[in-house]
Amino acid sequence: MPALAFVLLLAFLPAETVSGRYNPKAAISSPVVGPQQVYGLINGSVTIKCFYPPTSVNRHDRKYWCRESATGCITVVSTNGYTAPGYQGRVSITNYPQAEHFQINISALTAADTGTYQCGIGINGRGLSHKVSLDVSEGPHIPEGAELFYVKLHGSVTMSCSFGDNSASMRKFLCKMEKTSCRTIVDSSGDVDKDYIGRVLLSNEELPGSFSIVITQMGWEDSGLYLCGVGVYGEQGETKQLDVHVYEEANSPQRTLTVTAVKGGSATFQYNYIPIKKSSEKYWCKWRNNGCARIIDTSGFVSGLYEGRVAMYDSPVNYTVTVILNQLKESDKGYYWCMTDEEKEQQSSAELKIIEGEPGLQGKKEVEARVGSRVDLTCSYGCKYYSYQKYWCKWSSTSCTPMLATDQSQPGPDVTCDTDNKTVILSFNSVAKTDEGWYWCGVKRNGLLGETMAVYLWVTEDAGSSTNRNLDADPELLNVDPPGHTKSDFIPQERASSDAGVPSADASGSSEQSHGPNALVLSLSCAGAVLLILVVAFVVFKYRQLKRSDLVSVGSYRTNISMSDFGSVKEYSATNNTCVQESQETRIGEDELITAAAPPESTAETKKAKRSSKEDADLAYSTFLLTASSKAQGGTGGDSTALAVPPPAWEDQI
Amino acid sequence: MKSSLLLCVALAVSLGFVLVAGYPEDSGDDEHVLVNNKCQCVTVTSKFVPSKENPGEEVLERNIRILVPLRARENISDPMSPLRTTFVYRMTELCKKCDPVEIELGGEIYKAQQSTSCNEPETCYTYNRDKCYTTTFPFSYHGEVKKVQAVLTPASCYAD
Repeated sequence: MPALAFVLLLAFLPAETVSGRYNPKAAISSPVVGPQQVYGLINGSVTIKCFYPPTSVNRHDRKYWCRESATGCITVVSTNGYTAPGYQGRVSITNYPQAEHFQINISALTAADTGTYQCGIGINGRGLSHKVSLDVSEGPHIPEGAELFYVKLHGSVTMSCSFGDNSASMRKFLCKMEKTSCRTIVDSSGDVDKDYIGRVLLSNEELPGSFSIVITQMGWEDSGLYLCGVGVYGEQGETKQLDVHVYEEANSPQRTLTVTAVKGGSATFQYNYIPIKKSSEKYWCKWRNNGCARIIDTSGFVSGLYEGRVAMYDSPVNYTVTVILNQLKESDKGYYWCMTDEEKEQQSSAELKIIEGEPGLQGKKEVEARVGSRVDLTCSYGCKYYSYQKYWCKWSSTSCTPMLATDQSQPGPDVTCDTDNKTVILSFNSVAKTDEGWYWCGVKRNGLLGETMAVYLWVTEDAGSSTNRNLDADPELLNVDPPGHTKSDFIPQERASSDAGVPSADASGSSEQSHGPNALVLSLSCAGAVLLILVVAFVVFKYRQLKRSDLVSVGSYRTNISMSDFGSVKEYSATNNTCVQESQETRIGEDELITAAAPPESTAETKKAKRSSKEDADLAYSTFLLTASSKAQGGTGGDSTALAVPPPAWEDQI
Repeated sequence: MKSSLLLCVALAVSLGFVLVAGYPEDSGDDEHVLVNNKCQCVTVTSKFVPSKENPGEEVLERNIRILVPLRARENISDPMSPLRTTFVYRMTELCKKCDPVEIELGGEIYKAQQSTSCNEPETCYTYNRDKCYTTTFPFSYHGEVKKVQAVLTPASCYAD
């Protein structure tokens, strides 16, 4: 018993198609569709339009209008050229293959014409037909038949109704006829039926009291009788009947009805349209209960909230409009419509769903750069975009203009996908203020645009911070290296020694004062002055060296003494020069007293020089050198033997 | 005993689901099309009807409609072949869905075939309106017999 029950249950399953498409019998039973009830006046005329799926065979096949009788359906008129006797001259049949319908005109109606007819394709009675009931009456007023709409599956329909000026202020609505009542689909107060959310738009027309309704993504269950009207159904107000039929066209390209995109990534919408007039104004908007909020259009308008996020590409060649929206947030989900201002063109819609996940393109979203500097915008793509074309473009409200960029990865013969070097770089050698703005990195394949990523480039002016200036100035000073190795030793040591706060060596001074745009100029001038001094010192030094003078360190300078002509050379090489000088002074004698006076001063000076400016230090050094040389010369008079030998040796050394 | 009871309960629950879910907004005569085979001219539709034993309940009813073309030839592309006298209809073959269907996986659209063994050629009993059928026949002209191509279904053979 349970097994049997299970088998029964399983029998339910094949009832649903795998794709879940609801395929009703109406889809296959009568693809030819026409009005159900036609009213005519005696001696008047009537026009019957019968629609059919626009396949090749349907367009070329025989079309007929026949009258039902006991023996079958007897042809009244057909496209093969036959007209039944009794109908000569008052009935005609015309095929409009481009408009997917054929038309039957009957004039000079009589009461005998009342009856059941069939309009169809092919051979009578084979089922490819539609039953029409014709009612010819006398009365001055005849009820208006329903307006017929023949809509492709997943397509859209535009229905317009007008009810006179006085109904301009009344509530406008569209409802679908059901067994017992009329279910409101949409009305002018913003109420939308749940099955139609995102799919229906009611908009007022220019004439007061007239409005139009657009329904997109028509499904099988949307077929049926509708009423558009003003007021309230069942109570006061006027209504108009609309008969909507959905047909399926085999081999029609499946349009994207739902776009699923990752949060933070981008979504691409493609809308197909059949243009009547070329290059019409199109705009893209987000569906709301009481209208559609415009986001971007072909004239260059972009809504402020979507600045840098959306781009629209119109391709008149293959009649598609592509819209890309990136930097997606949760709140972006909803329905987006591509509309045109002209009627009769296909308005289409797509639903956007946001899911969690990682976007396929990664990179820094905001980049800051200074004017004139070099900046690189990088965009890393995953392995899934290995075979796609990558591009960078600059976003503007009209379009995104492509820019030259380099793709780091080399397409090689290897099969593996190495994620390390998968980047596309957009480089600016010298960025200008006009380069500021949104830049998009994107992929495309076969002309179809794929994912994108947006980056904003900030360009700041030259008013930099103080620390920046210093860092720039100091390397420049270091770079202004004078040729001697010793000089470079001087400078860092000088700075190190003087950074205890002793004022005004120019170099140290420049490192301390730093504000304003003139800092650079100032530091450059200081550097120049220092360079001059250094050159002078170098010259003097070299001069002294030529004259066999020796380097003596002042303060913490490195001592490089090779004074073998002095007796007290060892003492000299000792660190404390003052002691050495004093001892020498006392030894040398009276001559030196005069000059000896100088040394104490000079020593004192040299002592001071340790702490004072570099100039003084150099002066002190120079004086010391002078005294040292005089001492040496004086010394030769004293300890001649000791000194006699070294000078030649010294000279040799030199 | 317990397991069968459980099974029954599960069945009842799922039946309930099917019945409830099966009610669309306006529960009219919703007949679903299961098979629409133009080659053998068979349509199978299903709908819910009140059960005969218990009118309060609804059961699933399948309607199978077969149009047998009695004047068809063994080979529909050859009008000179003998008349066909044997017509075989197999539900498994009719219920096969060999047309590729577009499905969405991970944001990309793929075309997939829903049934296996779709490569076997189908013997057709009648013409498919969307296909063009031609044949060659010997045409005698000025004593010369030529093989001339002729169209069997003119309406389907237009270029556009």
